[in-house]
Amino acid sequence: MNRQRALVFGSIVGLAILIVVGVGAVRTLQLASGPPIELSILYSTEKEGWLNEIAPQFEAARPQIDGRPIRLKLKKMGSREMYLAVLDGAEKPDLISPASSLQASILEDMSAGKFGRPIVRANDPNLCRPTLSTPLVLVAWQERADVLWGGQAPDDLWKRLHNAVSDPRGWETLGRPEWGYVKFGHTDPLRSNSGLQTILLMTYDYFGKTGGLTSADILSNPGYQKWFLEIEQSISQFGDSTGNYMKDIVAYGPSMYDLVAVYESVAIEQAANAAGRYGELRVYYPPVTLMSDHPFCALSADWVTPEKARAARIFVDFLLSRPAQELALNKHGYRPVDPSIPLDRADGPFTRYAANGLRIDLPRQVETPPGSVLNTLLDFWSRNAQK
Amino acid sequence: MKNLMRRAIPGLIAASLLLTACEGGSPGPGSLFGANTVTVSILYGSEKREWLEPLVAEYNAARHTTPDGATIVIEATPMGSIESVRAILEERMKPVVWSPASSVYIPVANAEWRKTRSGDLVVGKPNDLVLSPVVIAMWRAMAEALGWPQKPIGWADIAALATSDKGWAEYGYPEWGRFKFGHTHPDFSNSGIVSILAIAYAGAGKQRGLTQDDLARPELRAFMEQVERSIIHYGSSTGFFGERMFERGPSYLSAAVLYENLIVAQEKKRLAGQSAQLPVVAIYPKEGTFWTNNPYIVLNAPWVTEAQKSAAQAFEKFLLDRPQQLRAIELGFRPADPSIALGAPLDAQHGVDPAQPQTVLEVPAAQVIQATQQLWRQTKKPVDVAALIDVSGSMRGDKISSARASLTQFIDLLGDRDRLQVITFASQVIPLTPLSPLSDKRAELTRRVSGIIEGGNTTLYDAVIAAHQSMKENGDPNHIRAIVVLSDGMDTASRATLDDAIAAISDAGEEGGAAIKLFTIAFGDDADKEVLKQMAEATGGKQYDSTPDNINKIYAEIATFF
Repeated sequence: MNRQRALVFGSIVGLAILIVVGVGAVRTLQLASGPPIELSILYSTEKEGWLNEIAPQFEAARPQIDGRPIRLKLKKMGSREMYLAVLDGAEKPDLISPASSLQASILEDMSAGKFGRPIVRANDPNLCRPTLSTPLVLVAWQERADVLWGGQAPDDLWKRLHNAVSDPRGWETLGRPEWGYVKFGHTDPLRSNSGLQTILLMTYDYFGKTGGLTSADILSNPGYQKWFLEIEQSISQFGDSTGNYMKDIVAYGPSMYDLVAVYESVAIEQAANAAGRYGELRVYYPPVTLMSDHPFCALSADWVTPEKARAARIFVDFLLSRPAQELALNKHGYRPVDPSIPLDRADGPFTRYAANGLRIDLPRQVETPPGSVLNTLLDFWSRNAQK
Repeated sequence: MKNLMRRAIPGLIAASLLLTACEGGSPGPGSLFGANTVTVSILYGSEKREWLEPLVAEYNAARHTTPDGATIVIEATPMGSIESVRAILEERMKPVVWSPASSVYIPVANAEWRKTRSGDLVVGKPNDLVLSPVVIAMWRAMAEALGWPQKPIGWADIAALATSDKGWAEYGYPEWGRFKFGHTHPDFSNSGIVSILAIAYAGAGKQRGLTQDDLARPELRAFMEQVERSIIHYGSSTGFFGERMFERGPSYLSAAVLYENLIVAQEKKRLAGQSAQLPVVAIYPKEGTFWTNNPYIVLNAPWVTEAQKSAAQAFEKFLLDRPQQLRAIELGFRPADPSIALGAPLDAQHGVDPAQPQTVLEVPAAQVIQATQQLWRQTKKPVDVAALIDVSGSMRGDKISSARASLTQFIDLLGDRDRLQVITFASQVIPLTPLSPLSDKRAELTRRVSGIIEGGNTTLYDAVIAAHQSMKENGDPNHIRAIVVLSDGMDTASRATLDDAIAAISDAGEEGGAAIKLFTIAFGDDADKEVLKQMAEATGGKQYDSTPDNINKIYAEIATFF
């Protein structure tokens, strides 16, 4: 509790310094007089806890541009919901923050198709700035993972998983008939970023690649399609959001899911709840993974005025300030993008939950394919695997 | 047509209750709170009544308001989960929130909704309020005879026991007689649906991937028919079924499909000295089971306003807050909030094991669930029922005409395989028809019923004894056997006494819950309610109070036993 207060205090101080020192154009001592600049932001649901704490701190520090105060208008949304709302004009945000640059690439691809030019530029570091980082992991009941693959996730994790989930005899083949069929799960890739990351990792794994995935790989390889759909068909229910999916595995226990693919951050958020409930819940890192980098992307659209673009930069600077980043780590389980913040503090989550499999060093990452390839994969999934 | 009626009429019962709650006469919650109110009507599964009812009262008393300043008024009505969604789909009821026992039926509800409208009735994944696994509730001594808790027991074991001619003798307890099993009616209640799905899985030897092809196999059909033979009777709600089991004991029912929370609640009562019954335990079927998750669904329906939506969300938040979740544990539920630890009374002392279940059965697709319901309707236990009608002189006027009309509707609720006898009594007991399948005589029977006239004294006891004797002789013990008595006055002319009647119809003995049930309807203010109640309860049946206005609803409710 004290630490939390210290964090809140620290972040207010941090903001004051930021405004006084970092942003020359802002006259902090002058009382706001002009009409407020309203910054409209759509963000992915996992960040709700963090942003709900950060937003009031930001506004409390009275950020302003030329005497005009900055007001935040935050709205949480699923990633797909977010870019569909932008594409059809239902929402006109100044900033969007999907869970990962993957999603920004999809919007870039779709908006280029629709408007003739992209509305976001996922790879432009000035326009899309990553704010947090967390890898995709598997969370499993340790007793069951021990039977599936022993202590550590093996290199052939996805192949073993495929064999286990597609075996009609299920756990019986592995000597534990009382566990029924093998129940793996991930979220709906059309609605949730972690679901898209999961099917992308499975696809890379089938082709033995970590980059250079093409639409032709997905569309013209019957062996892959069969293998992929056998896994997908074993999943009874795709979750709507990663946070809720993680809550379900804790609330229902091992009867509902043996293992699920989620973010490391949500696993950390639920680690204390899981302790002593239904046995040990443990984090397993796949041999290669994908990071969610939570970019905040300024839109290239006519409603984003120069003042709004400046206000957006001030807000993102605040998110990248040390107190905001430390809050994200200690309370919400994210890895800061600021490399000077240590992950191995004694009271930090990576130390506290090391026995649950958390580790600081990361597996290699696969390449993010172009938006068009991601759209091919999503389209294939929605035609063949969606329930 | 019959199925439609079967679904439609009981819904009317609750619909009228809900309407009564909303309309004038006595001041409803709306008028108490003044003009600026937003009312959130909720239809919810009866198994969470003990938890929800006091919370609704508490919430209303605190006079919460919306951001616009309107006072939020919650009006919550318990109702079988399947019965309520039927009423919503047919727009006989238009609640703001539907909270069934589980999400199992949501895909069916959406599929039905889309047939005539665009979009889904239930959008996205609603939040769970509280959790509880579906279990087989069994008397501890009987569970131990099956090897519990060391030996895992499954749906297939229960099915084998249910279909065995030897019954408990196979396990060395001939004195317990046949295995008497129960689950609720799948057209009304969530536990009825999941029970027939579990039976279908057991019959197919599967734990996931149940298909319409599986359901079409003759062996599966025969299996389901056999298991259903062991059912003592059906019923409209899981909460009611639990009460019945815990009131009447092991001679009535060996085991029933219930929810874990109902077992915890009963064991709490027993341990506190409020129930003299034997201990009961939860069996978590080894092949897997289903969960009740009590989703809180703000309906995506045209009658739900934005103001109601936000008021409904405010009440949802209240239910998910920690104090309310902690109260749910006290009542035997598992919290939906994962930050709350599982603890007492979720323990062995209260007959349950929080480490269970170990696995689940896969929830099938909507069309497979509907096909399973269809198969059940064809294989359910048939009914032998005698309708015993008081036609004494006091029935003159409205009474006799509404009795005739409602009896005609009752006939419509029964299937062609069901057998019905109609008997009238006044100074004499006169069987209008023999006990025979309805398929052969539906039209003829309707004609005879419309010709019933009144006159004479009331020989209630003689009539009950005669009807019971006739059912014993002509009824099939493998059918659900019941007598539905409608009477509007005191016995004035019987040779037998009340004691004679009760001695003749009591369910003592080996048959237990499978004995002939008496359902009694006290018709009008002059009926001898106490006598009718004593007779009904002696058989494990139930007594109802009725007027000429609602008699058809009472008959419809009785039909949920069949």
